[in-house]
Amino acid sequence: MKLSCLQENLNRGLSIVGRAVATRSTLPITQNILLSAEQSRLKLSATNLEMAITCWVGAKVKQKGDITVPARLLSDFVNSLPNDLIEVNLPANSRILELKSGHFQAHIHGIDAADFPPIPQINDGITTTIEAASLREGIAQVAFAAATEESRPVLTGINTEFDGEQLNLAAADGFRLAVHKTTLSSPVKEKTTVIIPARTLNELNRLIGEQEEPVEITVNEKKSQVLFRLKDAELVSQLIQGSFPNYSQVIPQSYTTRAVVDINEFLRVTKMSSIFARDASGIVRLVITPGSELAPGKITVSAQAEEVGDNVGEVDALTDGEEAKIAFNVRYLSDVLSVLSQAQVALELTTPSSPGTIRPIGVDNYVHVVMPMFVQW
Amino acid sequence: MQMPIKILATEVVSKIAAGEVIERPASVVKELIENSLDAGATQIAVEAQGGGVELIKVSDNGTGIPASELELAFHRYATSKIGNLDDLEKISSLGFRGEALPSIAAVAEVEISTQTSSDPIGSYMYLKKGEVVRKESRARSQGTTVTVRRLFRYFPARLKFLKSANTENSHIAHLVSQYALAFPEVKFSLVLDKRQSLRTTGNGDLREVVSEIYGSELAQRMLKVEQRDGLAKVSGLTSPPSLARSNRNYLSFFINRRWVHSPLLTRATEEAYRGLLMDGQHPITVINVSLPAQELDVNIHPAKAQIKFCHEQTVFSSVQKAIEEGLARTPIASSKAVPFSVSSGQWQSPRMIMDNEPAFVVAQLPTLELPVLRVLGQLANTYIIAEGPDGLYLIDQHAAHERILYDRILAQWSHKEVEVQGLLQPITIEFSPREEETLKAGKEFLAEFGFAIEPFGNRSYLIRAIPALVARANIIEIISALLDSLASKESPNPWEEKIAQSLACHGAIRAGQQLSNEEMRELIKQLEQTKQPRTCPHGRPTMIHLNSHQLEKEFGRIS
Repeated sequence: MKLSCLQENLNRGLSIVGRAVATRSTLPITQNILLSAEQSRLKLSATNLEMAITCWVGAKVKQKGDITVPARLLSDFVNSLPNDLIEVNLPANSRILELKSGHFQAHIHGIDAADFPPIPQINDGITTTIEAASLREGIAQVAFAAATEESRPVLTGINTEFDGEQLNLAAADGFRLAVHKTTLSSPVKEKTTVIIPARTLNELNRLIGEQEEPVEITVNEKKSQVLFRLKDAELVSQLIQGSFPNYSQVIPQSYTTRAVVDINEFLRVTKMSSIFARDASGIVRLVITPGSELAPGKITVSAQAEEVGDNVGEVDALTDGEEAKIAFNVRYLSDVLSVLSQAQVALELTTPSSPGTIRPIGVDNYVHVVMPMFVQW
Repeated sequence: MQMPIKILATEVVSKIAAGEVIERPASVVKELIENSLDAGATQIAVEAQGGGVELIKVSDNGTGIPASELELAFHRYATSKIGNLDDLEKISSLGFRGEALPSIAAVAEVEISTQTSSDPIGSYMYLKKGEVVRKESRARSQGTTVTVRRLFRYFPARLKFLKSANTENSHIAHLVSQYALAFPEVKFSLVLDKRQSLRTTGNGDLREVVSEIYGSELAQRMLKVEQRDGLAKVSGLTSPPSLARSNRNYLSFFINRRWVHSPLLTRATEEAYRGLLMDGQHPITVINVSLPAQELDVNIHPAKAQIKFCHEQTVFSSVQKAIEEGLARTPIASSKAVPFSVSSGQWQSPRMIMDNEPAFVVAQLPTLELPVLRVLGQLANTYIIAEGPDGLYLIDQHAAHERILYDRILAQWSHKEVEVQGLLQPITIEFSPREEETLKAGKEFLAEFGFAIEPFGNRSYLIRAIPALVARANIIEIISALLDSLASKESPNPWEEKIAQSLACHGAIRAGQQLSNEEMRELIKQLEQTKQPRTCPHGRPTMIHLNSHQLEKEFGRIS
């Protein structure tokens, strides 16, 4: 293997695939990055066996070849080089990678590429494309609601339903549910539902970054793996097997009280209360007071910590229905308010022990349901 | 062939009755020691050979038995200790049934030699199979010596069930120790197979007796228990939590100095140690409870090992309170990991502590509260390293957080303000039959702690809400662990205790979890506010303290 490429490009490529490098693994080679010199480009791959990222870096290849080297070592060295041309050389029958750039050079001991776990190839199955912005928004508004605790594996994933031209993403952790609907650029040939690990989708969002080109999504025929193809990178991930709970029945069909408020103001009082709610399992109490002829309606958000202190904040609201009370874990409230880009949000309630619904105003593709905490009023 | 019904022969009757009182050689020793104590002896010497089967000899310097009454003493229900029915209501002597000597004589060969202050000469009697074989006058200093030989020889059924000589010896040793603890002012001596096994000074100092039985180091560290108010007066010694033992053999309870097995007092003691000892650990306790004689009934068990109280609850809370007060003066946990240095110098010999001194000197160090700690960092993602005014503290993050949550859960529960998080979709759990039984029994408790569990048919249940403190943990795992701990009979803790322990354990941060400096500071701040910051609810220490003196010593800065 013999090639040259720009430090800037190589550095970027390494940081992209670096996200898939295993941090702790019983298989040491998964802490390496696979470098393969192809026709006029260098392919970088990393995998933690659950997810693999491949990225291509423009390079002038004089001789093809491949090797794996420790990810940390290579990234840190390349990162410390000035933005200049880097000569990469692997002498025939050698496992020591030479890097040379101006006055600097390094030798890195590698492991044979044949020992690297194969990166799954997905060529058949269900394929579709989606606008990067739509996918980005969907992931951002849903992924945070997935469970981090592993006792029910399906809940650590995002239920992804391809239905004609529709893409429905849903995540739930037992206490809250986030559902986002968006349109695909090309319809799928048959309705397909898979559960993608939330971790994978969070990484995907990082990879998409500012990219504007559409993302191609392929689910293999066995529905065991999914491939996301970006402009110059690919992400392959295992899918979570199992069936996601039927979430549509959880979404309340009606409400007795509804309050429409400015998202930023609502988020501000929520975060204020979180300071006092910290000591008490994060409980914040919300009271929706209907408006009268003299005063506008409002949502009062309060928190109290035993023997520490308490606070109260108010947001003006456009209300509908009677007075209502509910207590939430403040995190669940601020999590959802933080990911919405709209100006206003509606909070819909029925009883203090029934779930509350949050819907952004102006769009009808997102709904968030939060289960309350039961407190003494 | 059916046997006709008939009245049993006297010999059979007395053997049956004897069997109730004399269960094993140690029972003989017990009856004889009690007789000696009731006779006002200040010195009692016990000797046994071959596990007590070959020989048991108890000599005392008590009042003795007048020659004229000696023969009568071996008749069933003959006693000088009570006179009429009223006396039975307020028994102040250890014995009263008049069964001891005849029972012993029924199952062994007995020699008795006694001398009172009024008789001109002592008397001697030899009995075999309960019959007087020989009776004569024989000189002796004041007191009584009873020698029992060939125990159970004519009672092969009982002999067969006796354990090895060593085991029987150990029963005797345990028994004599208990009486020595109950009567520190009596000089006890025990010789087993010609080997001196115990000797107390009889100077009235309980700590000294404890020192003789359990060792002087332990005796020094025992904490004084004293409760002189109220109906039940409690006094004695109890171990600091760091001295726990793995069985209950070290619990000695005396009611009016009568050695008793009392589940009530055991519970009261364990209640006092609640949260201070690890599971399966038990304290070392020597407690005497003084009660007016009419407050209790000792006439339940032929061997009088069980006792009934008129006011159980009062006795229970007096003992619990007295021990708790004793413990409150103790330095907890840190003393275990780091040996005492300056603070408990060797000069504090137990002899120097006067009986009426308010507290054991070491115990006065007010170390229950935490000093202000400055976080230095985290070790192995498991321990918080902190600096205090007097050295280094290593804090187990899981144990510390457990303690915080435990206190918080119990506080919420007692105020009926448990924070409950509803579940968006109920979780279905299928329980085993045993779990289901526990669940049914503990349903109300679980509900009070925030679990909303509904039957869903066929051992399936729906979980609709859970305590907020464990909302981020594995719910199914928590519930089954909880039911297991409720079902376990090993730990006598009340259920609310077990539930709080289990929830705290599951809700607490784990070892191996990286914490920011901010989080560590917060954790320590909250730990400082708990009642028992130095132990987790299971009784494990939350911290190890290396004091400045110790550090200097380790580094050879001082010698």
